[in-house]
Amino acid sequence: MTRPGLWLALLVAAAYVFLVAPIVIVVLAALNAGDYLAFPPQGLSLRWFVRAAQTEPFLRSFVFSLKLAAWVTLASTVLGTAAALYVVRHSRRFRDMLRLAILAPLQLPAILTGIALLIFFLSTGMGTRGMRALFIGHTLVSLPYVFLTVSAVLAGFDRSLEEAARSLGAGPFTTFRRVTLPLIKGAVIAGALFAFITSFDQFPISLLLVSVGNTPLPIQLFDYLRFSFDPAAAAVSTVSVLMSVAIVLVVDRLVGLQAVSWGPR
Amino acid sequence: MGGLQETWAGRAGVSAPVRLPTWLLIAPTLVLLAVFFFVPYLNVLRMSFLVKPPVGPYLPEFTLTNYARALLDPFHWRVMYRTFWLAGLTTALTLVIAYPLAYHLSCAPPRRRRWLLMLLLSPLLVSVVVRGFAWMILLGRVGLVNLAVQRLAGHELVLIGTPTAIVIGLVHVYVPFMALAIAGALQNIHPDLVQAARSLGATPWVAFWRVVWPLSLPGVQAGTLLVFVLAVSSYVIPILLGASNVLVMPMLIVQTLLDAFNWPLGSALSMVFFGLTAAVIALYLRLLARAMRWTRA
Amino acid sequence: MSSITLRGLTKRFGSVAAVSSLDLEIREGELVTLLGPSGCGKTTTLRLIAGLELPDAGEVLFGDRPVTRLPPERRNVGIVFQSYALFPHMTVWQNVAFGLEMRRESPRVIRERVGAILERVQLRGLEQRYPHQLSGGQQQRVALARALVMNPAVLLLDEPLANLDAKLREDMRFYIRQLQRDVGITAVYVTHDQAEAMVLADRIALMRDGCLQQIGSPEEIYRQPRNVWVAEFIGLSNFIPGTVAGSRDGQLVVRTAAGTFTCTGRVEVGREVLICVRPEALHFGESHPNRLRGTVRERVFLGNLFDYRVEGPGGLHLRVQADPSQALPPGGNVTVSFDPSAAWAVDAGEV
Repeated sequence: MTRPGLWLALLVAAAYVFLVAPIVIVVLAALNAGDYLAFPPQGLSLRWFVRAAQTEPFLRSFVFSLKLAAWVTLASTVLGTAAALYVVRHSRRFRDMLRLAILAPLQLPAILTGIALLIFFLSTGMGTRGMRALFIGHTLVSLPYVFLTVSAVLAGFDRSLEEAARSLGAGPFTTFRRVTLPLIKGAVIAGALFAFITSFDQFPISLLLVSVGNTPLPIQLFDYLRFSFDPAAAAVSTVSVLMSVAIVLVVDRLVGLQAVSWGPR
Repeated sequence: MGGLQETWAGRAGVSAPVRLPTWLLIAPTLVLLAVFFFVPYLNVLRMSFLVKPPVGPYLPEFTLTNYARALLDPFHWRVMYRTFWLAGLTTALTLVIAYPLAYHLSCAPPRRRRWLLMLLLSPLLVSVVVRGFAWMILLGRVGLVNLAVQRLAGHELVLIGTPTAIVIGLVHVYVPFMALAIAGALQNIHPDLVQAARSLGATPWVAFWRVVWPLSLPGVQAGTLLVFVLAVSSYVIPILLGASNVLVMPMLIVQTLLDAFNWPLGSALSMVFFGLTAAVIALYLRLLARAMRWTRA
Repeated sequence: MSSITLRGLTKRFGSVAAVSSLDLEIREGELVTLLGPSGCGKTTTLRLIAGLELPDAGEVLFGDRPVTRLPPERRNVGIVFQSYALFPHMTVWQNVAFGLEMRRESPRVIRERVGAILERVQLRGLEQRYPHQLSGGQQQRVALARALVMNPAVLLLDEPLANLDAKLREDMRFYIRQLQRDVGITAVYVTHDQAEAMVLADRIALMRDGCLQQIGSPEEIYRQPRNVWVAEFIGLSNFIPGTVAGSRDGQLVVRTAAGTFTCTGRVEVGREVLICVRPEALHFGESHPNRLRGTVRERVFLGNLFDYRVEGPGGLHLRVQADPSQALPPGGNVTVSFDPSAAWAVDAGEV
């Protein structure tokens, strides 16, 4: 491609500012020493972070989200990796259909999935108590990310490495453990981290499946924002942002962001 | 892997370790999808034909009244129209902003592209609630935008509570998706093609319109579809930035389900709305198919 | 149709000079190949002529028209890319008509000229196909048609046959040559394949590290390489080191460790030289004036000839190629002789 001109560069710079500025604003608002969400911030202070940490609902929902995300990540990683292994290596006739099915939760609107799950859980009597319903809902939409990253890596995998190991006497499980897994580790971890973020930041599905006492952080924040509008919310948001940034940096270090595909291939 | 296993286990005379059939790899996932995804969706379809009693969410009796109410109430049509209109506008604006971003990204040398990609993806890693909140700060009565406008024009803009704020918020959320889809298509375009066009007399602008743009259409199609579906089903941004003044379908459906506790009607509304969305998409794809004739030849 | 003149052309990428002060004259209607190893600057030179790169110094002229700073769309060049660069979203017809559309030619003119060129490259009947529905050879011809329909001043080809299999490559070589001759267009052809260069070129321009080593007809380059590098790059060669002792009857007398020989060349007396003799110019027996004795070390049967390694006096290693009728056994002592006209002395200092 020929190099783009100056106009394009300016346009693009403005677009990136548009994309990133709001997040920066939230972080600045959280550091505001003053009492209200005002600009420019009147000095910097961490008091709102302290305040948020002392607010019970925030604290509780933060911990809950972490626990939920941890379980979801575990399930998504195991299931997603296994599914990727199967689809890339062992399916032939049904490969496209399987891919479509696994990615379907990403293709259909999350809110619709949430609605369907709510009605299902309530009408079958399973209920939405405890973490169970949320866990299932989150896993449905997190698993595809693990599937995508791992199957991308598997597609380009050099099978002769495994064949060499087998010819040297390693059984199938040993080969998987000592040869395959270390090589796809990066993709597995990247997928797991994206699954974690997806669960932690998940909204539509959580909205419909929450029950008393089990509120994920985004829902808590949302409820708070319906009625209050102060820097404590900004502080909570900032923590959430920092976590995500940390995760992206880790993923990039491990596999490079180009490894993640964002849609059906 | 299976075949190799048989041979080696046999030849070495070693008793093969417990050989699990490979479909076990996919079984849990399939069960999860079948029971907790496909069945619930079918259930919604079933629910849309059931009766809503005065007390309780539903009765297992067949009726078509839900669809009658969904389709015949002009209020529903107004809300659906508003939702499609907002989603369409959002998609168009997202395309306008995302295309230059994608073009710039695909022209960038690998090192810089990595950083640009990180920058582009960073908003995606923040919860949609946080992003809605960010725009509430920016577009509020004492927000940054109004501060600037007041200094320049002397009066303040009411943005929160208007469709404008919603569109801005949605565009902000969806630009990265669109940009990635388009960048993917752009990267498949061989650099020689633009040079060939130039050598045949095309100015850079004409080369873009006659060569790059048509060849990027698959990405544009994927991106616009993705963003339209996302925009049509968005809930948080319209609520936070519309401040109860603007009602879109997802809000109406959730209200019907949770507040009015009317599952049958909520299900019927969902089916109608997303069915219409599918129809709009099908129409869109047919229109685009002509421009992309060459992909199917 | 114009001639091409390159004067002092220089192009740097970072700290590396891809093309260094290049002077080159290509005559009207001539086909010149730019030949050399990868990284020698041949593709960069082509792109400078095309306007796809701008030089850091020097000039490019088409005829007497300076085009150095003009963008490609104003130079009237036809380019055939290694990847063909056919527009995948356009049919064969649309591809070939594209340039004429850019020129805003009338539909009637377009119809005539596109029809005519497609006839000429024998692609009639395939106008409505898309590039991915064509074979490699057909795509190649579309690329040629698209470039030629514009009646460009100059035709530039960047290793256009690299993606074809060997047999097709050979056929297409002749085809391109014929087409270029028929149309009479000035052409510059980049390749790293010697055989291709020899078949196609009126003259070959050998390049190395951004500099022109030698330009001449295939015969000149083969028989009279300007320096050791050229002699080694083109075909196989034996080198016999020696010193020019004198000249006699327009020929040089060179004293070497293997004997005193006469050969052709343009070197001053007293200089150190390498006598280049091609393997097929060395003969067993005493039929030619320059003779030396040696031992056959190895013999390989290549089908149409035998390839011998012969060790001569002073540790000289020679490669001799002779037809299979003369099968000499390894280990035997032989006399090898060559004619002065088949030996060319190159100044050993010229690298």
